[in-house]
Amino acid sequence: MTVVETRAVTRRFGSFTAVDAVDLEVGPGEVVGVLGANGAGKTTLMRMILGLLRPTSGSVTLFGEPPGRATRLRIGYVPQSLGLWRDLTAAENMEFSAGVFGVPPTDTPAGAGGRLVGNLSLGVQRRVAFAAALQHRPDLLILDEPTSGVAPLSRARLWEEIRAQAERGVAVLVTTHYMDEARQADRLILMARGTVVGRGSERDIVGSLEAVVVTTDRWEAAFGVIEDAGLAATLAGRALRVPGATTGEVGAALRAAGVDAEVTTGHATLEEAMVVAATS
Amino acid sequence: MTWGVEHLTVRFGHTTAVEDVSLAAEPHRVSAVVGGDGAGKTTLLRVLAGIPIRHEGSVTAPERRRIGYVPAAGGVFDDLTVAENLSFTGGAYRVPDIAAAAAPLLERTGLAPFTGRLAGDLSGGMRRKLAVVGAMLHSPDLLILDEPTTGVDPVSRSDLWRLIGAAATGGAAVVVSSAYLDESERASSVTVLHRGRSLVAGTPDEVRASLPGSVVVVDEPADRSRAWRQGRRWREWVPDGSPDGVAPTLEDVLIAAGLAEEEASR
Amino acid sequence: MKAMILKEFRQLRRDRRTVAMLVAIPIVLLTVFGYAASFDIERIPTAVLGPAVGTTNPLVDTQPDVFEIVHVDPAGTADDAHDLLRDGKAIIAVVTGTPTTVYVDGTEIFAAQSALRQAGSLPDGVRVEVLFNPELSTANIMVPGLIGFVLLAVGTIITSLGVVKERAEGTIEQLAVLPLKPRDVILGKIAPYFLVGVLDLVLITVVGLLLFDVPFRGSILMFAVGGLLFLFVALGFGVLISTVSQSQGEAIQLAIMVMVPQILLSGMIFPLTSMPLGVRWISYCLPLTYFVQIMRGVFLKAAPFASLTIPYLILTLMAVAVFALAVLRFRRDLAPTGRRGAAEEVAA
Repeated sequence: MTVVETRAVTRRFGSFTAVDAVDLEVGPGEVVGVLGANGAGKTTLMRMILGLLRPTSGSVTLFGEPPGRATRLRIGYVPQSLGLWRDLTAAENMEFSAGVFGVPPTDTPAGAGGRLVGNLSLGVQRRVAFAAALQHRPDLLILDEPTSGVAPLSRARLWEEIRAQAERGVAVLVTTHYMDEARQADRLILMARGTVVGRGSERDIVGSLEAVVVTTDRWEAAFGVIEDAGLAATLAGRALRVPGATTGEVGAALRAAGVDAEVTTGHATLEEAMVVAATS
Repeated sequence: MTWGVEHLTVRFGHTTAVEDVSLAAEPHRVSAVVGGDGAGKTTLLRVLAGIPIRHEGSVTAPERRRIGYVPAAGGVFDDLTVAENLSFTGGAYRVPDIAAAAAPLLERTGLAPFTGRLAGDLSGGMRRKLAVVGAMLHSPDLLILDEPTTGVDPVSRSDLWRLIGAAATGGAAVVVSSAYLDESERASSVTVLHRGRSLVAGTPDEVRASLPGSVVVVDEPADRSRAWRQGRRWREWVPDGSPDGVAPTLEDVLIAAGLAEEEASR
Repeated sequence: MKAMILKEFRQLRRDRRTVAMLVAIPIVLLTVFGYAASFDIERIPTAVLGPAVGTTNPLVDTQPDVFEIVHVDPAGTADDAHDLLRDGKAIIAVVTGTPTTVYVDGTEIFAAQSALRQAGSLPDGVRVEVLFNPELSTANIMVPGLIGFVLLAVGTIITSLGVVKERAEGTIEQLAVLPLKPRDVILGKIAPYFLVGVLDLVLITVVGLLLFDVPFRGSILMFAVGGLLFLFVALGFGVLISTVSQSQGEAIQLAIMVMVPQILLSGMIFPLTSMPLGVRWISYCLPLTYFVQIMRGVFLKAAPFASLTIPYLILTLMAVAVFALAVLRFRRDLAPTGRRGAAEEVAA
């Protein structure tokens, strides 16, 4: 049975359509990542799935029914702001959310228990938020940039836990705009301007999109030339990348300016694909 | 002229925020300072920016009016418009023609249509871009940006990196801190901080090559304490080196370094 | 420095609330202190009772423009005079006869003082008697009013800060997705402040009674009902303020704007009788005005419910209205909004 299912779900605010006919499914044991730039509609979609916002049209079902109090009992949610009370201790936070769900509190992550959440490092706060959201053994985890701002080792540990939940059969829905997180998902959905513009693996989403790679000793000059040509260049160490452009136009601009450079192409990165999707 | 710090140590009471860290910032180059929350990035950047903080070690930086600095949260007055923000920062640095200095930067970052808008009404990414533009108006010799891209969406992040590229192209030494490793691929050199100490430093290639042993991708790791997930599969660090490893990412190197440190302190 | 000054002025101009306060506060204070906050009594509602009502009146005749006759009853007795003063219908009651007695409401300290000043020039055989507060003690009339001020401070400021913090830190969204009924969240959020308010009510009353020897002559039940009604008003204001504030600073600013007029215009400090009608109607819109009337009546005058029906009724209406509005607005943060909810923020 599908855990999350949206059918042509749409949400308008006045004349502005924030989410436009989005279909999304998440099954048990699956980690699905929703990607997109600001204004892509991620937040609105998630708010509809969480039951904080009603769709203008289309449907959202969780465990086969519309979002409501019964479905909330089966969801664990960690917002980007973590949703912890900073003036309570970690243990008190755990106790509160356990109490709301009517389950006994589980152990507070090591080294966090008696301290006020506001005094903990971000990495430990994230572990506490995650532990608090797991206490009632939810069947669906909704995580908003779960590991942003965390050191690599802490991030690896958090993802190990998230994956362990998925292997127990929990459905996991993650929104992110960081590539490191996106790579942890089984399946990705890329949104732009309220609609889904790409689905599948990282490779599916990047598809045939390429980035022009410019290698030259005179990269400072090359950068200026490419930018002046109205293309978006980014540094990549001592090379330059120009996603969504053609070797022809980049090469021509460089030649016209008398800059010697090796102009090749490579697969675009997921991030470049997101930028191209949002701006094209 | 190379700017930077050598053997910098900063203590706040009993906690050591930065311990014996060196960082070089060269003109035309972007130096990335990478680390998680509490790694010491902000303290390092603040000392370099000339904010009075008691420290040991040497700091080489241009005079204050030749530095551009954007702190981690802020650098923008929410209740001023975009144009007013720039006229304030430009005025503070005595930029002769603020409008002329700002125009190309605003154009490049998509801020140009919003000059009359209050900064508080801009999106987070737009605000960060405005802060960076403000710090670039006087063409500083040393541009210091503390986590300019944290919490910023990919489009604004890409614009921010274009600004950073433009500053480096124009001859500034740029120091950027970030919590994200993928960003350090864009820098000429990376310094990775962990709990105030420098874990690895060098070009991205040098950092990758510094991994002791190798990383393998497996379905079932031999030693879970040295393994972490990538999707359904595992990546595992094998310190005594096996030749059949995958090309390590910067993230692998840092996870391995973190694991090694934990093992050593155990 | 020029850049700094320019920036500061621009920011100041944008901060509408601060500008409003910079302009409004001097105007309010000037108006209040110029017109309303006067201890000089302009008109004293006076009743004349007893057989000799038609003849010249020794007190009233001295200053006919001050002593305004509001009630004349040839059959009236000393008991009637007491009731008129207790119910607030008159501040002075002259009972003619032998001897002629002038009864003065001691809870209206300034009116009473001015009446007593005239008493020196009264003909022999005219007696003056101060009721309810014979020593004309300021504490006696201030403490009952101060109880209201404390409830307002605790209820409004502390509650608004507590609720606005949830919004500022984003935890309100967490509450919205937990399997809690909006009712549970709202009541659970307010109940602790309600209890603290009740505790404060008891505490300041007991301290007032012990420390300042304020008499408590009336019914404890009426005291409790008045206190609880007013607490609901104060908590309701607190929640309402929090629903329109984005930060704790904004909440405090608004709470001050709610409190200052009540302190100045409720009759707690300056008597209502000395305010011109143009200002007094504001007083009649403020809940603290009715609370002060109730508490002074209960503490000092042993007033029965019948004499305070109107203040109780108005305070009840205010409590229901403010609290209901507050709960409805709070609910909007917690429950999904309908299809017509265009007021929601467009998700960035």
